[in-house]
Amino acid sequence: MKPNAASSITKGKMSNESYISLFMIVVLIAFFGIACLFVPNFYLPQNMINILTSFWYIIILGIGVTFLLITGNFDMSVSGVIAMTGVLAAYFCQPLSQSGDAASEMFSGLGMPYWLAVIAAMACAVLIGAVNAFFIARLKVASIIITLGTMSVSRGIGMFIAQGAQRNMNLPDEFKVLGTSYLPNTSIPLSVVIMVVLVIIAVIIEKKTVFGRRTYLIGANIKAAELCGVKVAKHLTYLYLFSAFLAGITGILIASNYIGGSAGRAQGYEFDALVVTLLGGTSINGGFGSVLGTVVGALILSVVTSAATGLLLSPDWQYILKGTVTFLAILAQRFALDKRAK
Amino acid sequence: MNITEKELIKRNIDKKNRTKSVIKKFYIYFVLLIIVILFSAVFTKTELFGRGNFLSIDNIINMLRMSVPIITLSGGFTLLMIAGSIDLSVGSEMSLSAVVFAYLILNGFSFLATFLIIVVLGILMGVINGYLVMKLRITPVIATLVTLNLYKGIARLMVPQGLLSIKSTATQAMPAWINDYGRKDVILGLPWAFIVAVVVIIALVIIQRKTIIGKYAAAIGGNRTAAELSGINAVKWVWIIFIIVGFLAALAGMARASYMSVGDPLSGSGMELNCIIAVLLGGTAFTGGEGSVIKTIIGALIIMCVTTGLMTVIPAYWQTFATGCVLIIAVVLNQLLAQEKVKA
Repeated sequence: MKPNAASSITKGKMSNESYISLFMIVVLIAFFGIACLFVPNFYLPQNMINILTSFWYIIILGIGVTFLLITGNFDMSVSGVIAMTGVLAAYFCQPLSQSGDAASEMFSGLGMPYWLAVIAAMACAVLIGAVNAFFIARLKVASIIITLGTMSVSRGIGMFIAQGAQRNMNLPDEFKVLGTSYLPNTSIPLSVVIMVVLVIIAVIIEKKTVFGRRTYLIGANIKAAELCGVKVAKHLTYLYLFSAFLAGITGILIASNYIGGSAGRAQGYEFDALVVTLLGGTSINGGFGSVLGTVVGALILSVVTSAATGLLLSPDWQYILKGTVTFLAILAQRFALDKRAK
Repeated sequence: MNITEKELIKRNIDKKNRTKSVIKKFYIYFVLLIIVILFSAVFTKTELFGRGNFLSIDNIINMLRMSVPIITLSGGFTLLMIAGSIDLSVGSEMSLSAVVFAYLILNGFSFLATFLIIVVLGILMGVINGYLVMKLRITPVIATLVTLNLYKGIARLMVPQGLLSIKSTATQAMPAWINDYGRKDVILGLPWAFIVAVVVIIALVIIQRKTIIGKYAAAIGGNRTAAELSGINAVKWVWIIFIIVGFLAALAGMARASYMSVGDPLSGSGMELNCIIAVLLGGTAFTGGEGSVIKTIIGALIIMCVTTGLMTVIPAYWQTFATGCVLIIAVVLNQLLAQEKVKA
């Protein structure tokens, strides 16, 4: 009997997605085990908490990227949106300048109260998402290119407002609250709690709602989705707005953590988010994937990075290690899927 | 003679399609012309062709010298995209070649020896990329992202601790002739690297239009299954194109290192983005199957004009924004022109 998709569905009771997620969890445990052997003190609880929480921002970004990748689209603009939102949030709530001279450029802004600055910055982030959606959903332009373009545009806006430097003067006290609060009696930052909440919401949307099922349908066969009455353009618009919204939240939290907005932040986060999504089993062609897989992928990356730091490797070696591990994991995934289809 | 209504409509659509294809063929030259005129008229106050003007000889020569890496590279990149693949690691390939070049020259290797080693390096990088994409069947985007990081990492490792790039130090001086390849003028003020780039372009145009590499690339990019069923060994031919791209990236890195006299592991960053913009401006479809090397080169020249022209006018922190806008405009233009409305 020739192997095909139908036979793999009837053979096992698990969906392909769950199988891959399970497989990647096994990979995660394997990597963790290897790391424990080589890195001193890897299995300490403090280290475990560190691994689980250090990549919270990638996971938040990964939610948006996963949904979009399932539909077969990319969103590379997230890192630029993070930088832009951070800078804008700082700019909006810096006090109005007293004098008119240029020296106080970096010290003054629009003087809004903090909550208003956050809302305004988030609105700008969502605007970038709307631009993405316009070009990709409406004009049907290739998503990877457009989002690379909007990444440059949004980062450029951030660079312009920060004039290549940082905006971290005269910020109101509330600015640092979000990013530096911890759960009482633990060292778990508020950002991680927000991440967990967002992941739960995302999983519910993905598994239980019609919106989630439609996302998979668009990715699997866009023509079929259109013929079934799914308004693809509208759906993609929602996804891009959502992804930009997530990037905006991350931007606010990171800016709050650093107590300042800088245009150079978050470099490379979009690739990390993509790698993590792919590690989690999401297919690059769409139609297949899950948010939980992405979370597992992020944990794998976290274990590897943590191990590399623990082994006191130079940053350059860490780079190579990250690339090699990603590569091996994806090869393993491909191998597992091929085997299952037989 | 009776012309039915259907026939009239068909003739109209044919005429529209023909006009569209004519526009498609020539718009890129038009755009280049407009940009050049714009920059020379708006941003300068001196007379045309005079000193200080955008179109002055000095400026043109300078621009052409700086554009050597991208025009060397983007022709091969076009060929790869015609074949339906992509190589996002070209920037890192370039950086690695630049670093190796500087390292070898600094340590006393002759130009010929260095050149041969760089060529071998480029071919090797292309072989690796081709293997990952064609043999292991990993999606080109992922595979070349992996090699991007791999080559970048190796390049960074080669720079001794504490330095940012390979250059003259207190103990070892970089020989002055390192500049000869990329800077010293040989003809009309243009260096050897430029001549090499021109030879490369001519070779690629011939390859793309006249040889089977070009034809097979278009076939594989258009419909890989059909091409394979027709007897074309897709794996072998696309692998060859990856090797060509690696080779060209190595040449580009050498040119850049020679021009700047340093081996900078960051020198090629973002080059893949510029290549993509050049290819899209040149009208090559992103999905492959068709494309033109010459038009991509014009696209690359447009990018160089825009970036060098803007450098004098806008401050550095505007440039990321500008690059992004140019990219978006380029890809939208490409999309609009690539769609042919055929209402049958």
